[in-house]
Amino acid sequence: MKAERLQALADAYGADLRRWPASERAFAESLLAGDPSLKAVLDQAAALDVLLDAAPAPKPSDALTARILAAAPQSRPRTRRFHLDRIALYLGAGWAAAACAGVVAGVGLTTHVTADERADAILYQSTLVAVDDTEVLG
Amino acid sequence: MVAIVDPDEDLVRRVGQGDPAAAQTLVARKLPRILALAQRMLGDAAEAEDVAQEAMLKAWRQAPKWIPGKARFDTWLHRVALNLCYDRLRRRREIPTDTPPDRPDEGPAPDRGLLAAETGLRVAAALKHLPDRQREAVVLCHYQELSNIEAAALMEISVEALESLLSRGRRALRQALSDIAPGAAEGDGR
Repeated sequence: MKAERLQALADAYGADLRRWPASERAFAESLLAGDPSLKAVLDQAAALDVLLDAAPAPKPSDALTARILAAAPQSRPRTRRFHLDRIALYLGAGWAAAACAGVVAGVGLTTHVTADERADAILYQSTLVAVDDTEVLG
Repeated sequence: MVAIVDPDEDLVRRVGQGDPAAAQTLVARKLPRILALAQRMLGDAAEAEDVAQEAMLKAWRQAPKWIPGKARFDTWLHRVALNLCYDRLRRRREIPTDTPPDRPDEGPAPDRGLLAAETGLRVAAALKHLPDRQREAVVLCHYQELSNIEAAALMEISVEALESLLSRGRRALRQALSDIAPGAAEGDGR
């Protein structure tokens, strides 16, 4: 029974015990140590392993490697993004400051103009009063 | 749940962060394996290149969102490549061709001997003519050196079913190649 299992494992996985299920390697080694004639089972499997290993393994071309690497994830341009953020911040702050300055200047100017106009109006009204008095009083 | 130890975990994390050196290392480590897998599954160099490239591009997209501990990256990449191979094998079956499928080259007579390159071509041809599932089992276990548990999980079958596919695949290969390795064919009459 044990020899049959050894044969089944060799038929499936070949002669290299590293390819065998980890749980059965120790069993196989002890079985082989106890009965050297069973080594023939592994020899037969090894002959096919040698043939399989003769099949060529393709080597990736430089062009294929380059195409794949060209599509690899890129790190984000952190430094540049930092500058863009700063520039955006400065621009925003500039606009806000300009807007505030505009409001302040507008209010100041309007106040000045209003004061002048009020003074002119009072003076004008006072002249009108004088005219009226003259006209009324003769 | 047992955490999965993944030797590629750190590399994948760095790739996801856009580290070009990590990307180069990952390509050096994985591309030959995935290309070989595709070549042996499809038996066509140009198609194998396409599959390997597509699988690696999917790896690039996956790297930034890779969650460590759930699966080994190598196993995931094999799954992606195998799916791409099966898509192509399915398409081949759906598109009838005028030319009959090529049969394994019988090769020169054994007494003339074979160069190593010729032996390799014979083996590749014999592998190509295995049923898909037997070929997949042999490729994953022998060439890709995955453990039986990993290979069975990838193929979504039990370990017993995997062993059955492997045995039948290797027996068919022994018979197909018996003229160049008589020793390998001994015991087929069991």
